[in-house]
Amino acid sequence: MNQLKLLSIQGLRTEFPTPDGPLAAVSGVDLEVTRGDVLGIVGESGSGKTVLGLSIMGLVDRPGRVTAGRIAFGGTEITNYSEAQWQGLRGNRIAMIFQDPTTSLNPVQRIGVQMIEAIQAHRDVSTDAARQIVREAMVRVGINSPDERLEAYPHQFSGGMRQRVVIATALLNEPDLIIADEPTTALDVTVQAQILRDMRRLCRDTGMALIWVSHDLGVVAQIAHRVAVMYAGRIVEQGATEVMLKSPSHPYTAGLMASMPANAPRGQRLVSIPGGLPQLSNLPKGCSFAPRCAHATTACDVLPELSPTSPDHAVRCVSPLQERS
Amino acid sequence: MLAFILRRVMQSVVVLFVMSLIVFSMINLVGDPVDMLVNPESLPEEIDRVRRDFGLDQPAYVQYWKFLTGALAGDLGNSFIFGRPALALMVERFPATLELATSALIIAITVGLPLGIYAGLRPNGWGTRIIMGGSVLGISVPTFWLGLMMIIVFSVILGWLPVSGRGETAVFLGIESSLFTLDGLKHLILPATNLALFKIAMVIRLTRAGTEEVMAQDYIKFARAKGLSSKRIVRAHLLPNILIPIITVLGIEFGTLIAFATVTESIFAWPGLGKLVIDAIVNLDRPIVVAYLLFVVALFLVLNLVVDIIYAVLDPRVRLQGEGG
Repeated sequence: MNQLKLLSIQGLRTEFPTPDGPLAAVSGVDLEVTRGDVLGIVGESGSGKTVLGLSIMGLVDRPGRVTAGRIAFGGTEITNYSEAQWQGLRGNRIAMIFQDPTTSLNPVQRIGVQMIEAIQAHRDVSTDAARQIVREAMVRVGINSPDERLEAYPHQFSGGMRQRVVIATALLNEPDLIIADEPTTALDVTVQAQILRDMRRLCRDTGMALIWVSHDLGVVAQIAHRVAVMYAGRIVEQGATEVMLKSPSHPYTAGLMASMPANAPRGQRLVSIPGGLPQLSNLPKGCSFAPRCAHATTACDVLPELSPTSPDHAVRCVSPLQERS
Repeated sequence: MLAFILRRVMQSVVVLFVMSLIVFSMINLVGDPVDMLVNPESLPEEIDRVRRDFGLDQPAYVQYWKFLTGALAGDLGNSFIFGRPALALMVERFPATLELATSALIIAITVGLPLGIYAGLRPNGWGTRIIMGGSVLGISVPTFWLGLMMIIVFSVILGWLPVSGRGETAVFLGIESSLFTLDGLKHLILPATNLALFKIAMVIRLTRAGTEEVMAQDYIKFARAKGLSSKRIVRAHLLPNILIPIITVLGIEFGTLIAFATVTESIFAWPGLGKLVIDAIVNLDRPIVVAYLLFVVALFLVLNLVVDIIYAVLDPRVRLQGEGG
């Protein structure tokens, strides 16, 4: 496998103007994804993880926009791409899957039409040839009798089936990178497990990279090689999945893990992190997590850098937690 | 489908019957048509003779029974004024009104739909402000006043278009219409535009609201993530979704265009149904008024049915009741 950096993000900042001044949904994010890599991005709602995904696709809703930083894809800087250039990239080299499969498909168009158009937007192929590619993609994600399914409308599918259609659509042009924004959150647990298994297999088989955005550390742990934890628009901890799960360094990551039902002792109340996500318009000076942090000191009034604690692990905290023994 | 249509036809017959009862009793409360028919200086014997001739000396329920049995045989009575069958008079006038209403509807769609989509896609643009300002005028300024202004400006001052009446007609494909002659078209432009103005404003507002709603949907975001061009998104994903509510409303509005073209027809002396019924009301020509009102009710019943059927065709999620599956 080519270890070339597929996606490289530096100092990315995405802002939305508000009457009280610009609001940075994503701020100072550095990320790298190599080919075949599976990166998990974890954070609460409002932590900026979805906006980060949309920024990589050039799909941030106006009036929001990327105001600083660089995004390079396959060695080419794409930050200042024109809309036409973005169109050539989207769905072709980078594909995206959204959270809710019940709303990702147009209710009044046949599944086949919606999939074939994704191919014909990028390749000059006949409808028959495109139909053949669609059939193959459907079989790959476990949809039986694709010919029948092509003529169906979205409402004739279950939620899990619809998400498979969406995933198959994302796969059509064999992208180098798929950004999956909470693709299993709206599904029930058994379907979630199947889709996770299928996505892992697809990544292994095709060598494509995957960015899996989720609020659920448990789901991310099952699929990602590396995890980045986001809080209030910033990455607070980043590292190899096993390392991070074994010894979270940031108090927020530790809090997330402690609040996972699987980690709670039976018969006891679940642990929760006190307080809520701060208003982006009113972030505390220094570390955004400090007001909720049990370990906060006056040193936290200065924003710490994301600094490595070990070769495969970096944390944005002045007093990172010690490795558990 | 067939069962659905049959049931709707049965319901329609009941509605028409009830309507005829209401219309007939109400009109018997208004004025005495004999006063309009005879010279006020006629002898009492002469007045009584006229009353007997028209059957107006009979009790109301006998008159109604006569009307009902006649109506079932397709005879809605003779006009007091013209002495000819009311139905035949209406059939004679109907093409002129249909032509006017159809032209107005076409103008409303071809002007309103693009402007509405434009406004919906650029909610903060200058063009949008102008369009929406214009649509407020279109909705709030009375039709009759605008009609008079149009006559003054385009016919009297500029002299570009004829003041009133229906121009030459020609027969094409067995249809006689003024759409097929230059003179006819010239006569049609002002009244059709006048009748359309309110509908243009309505179509703009409906389309804009629909566009804004649909563009915020996930399937539009997913369509963009597939790398589709804006043109393709508007054509394949936006239009089919906004057309559903627009067609529902326009179907019924087409009825109001035909039924209530009276004002425009009066101003432009357009020899259509509206003018016929206004004259009939003034002259207490009961058979015409009753026939016209029943016609309008029947028209709305038919349009409702047609709209329901089109709705089912456009939106795959809609299955008409009485249809299997």
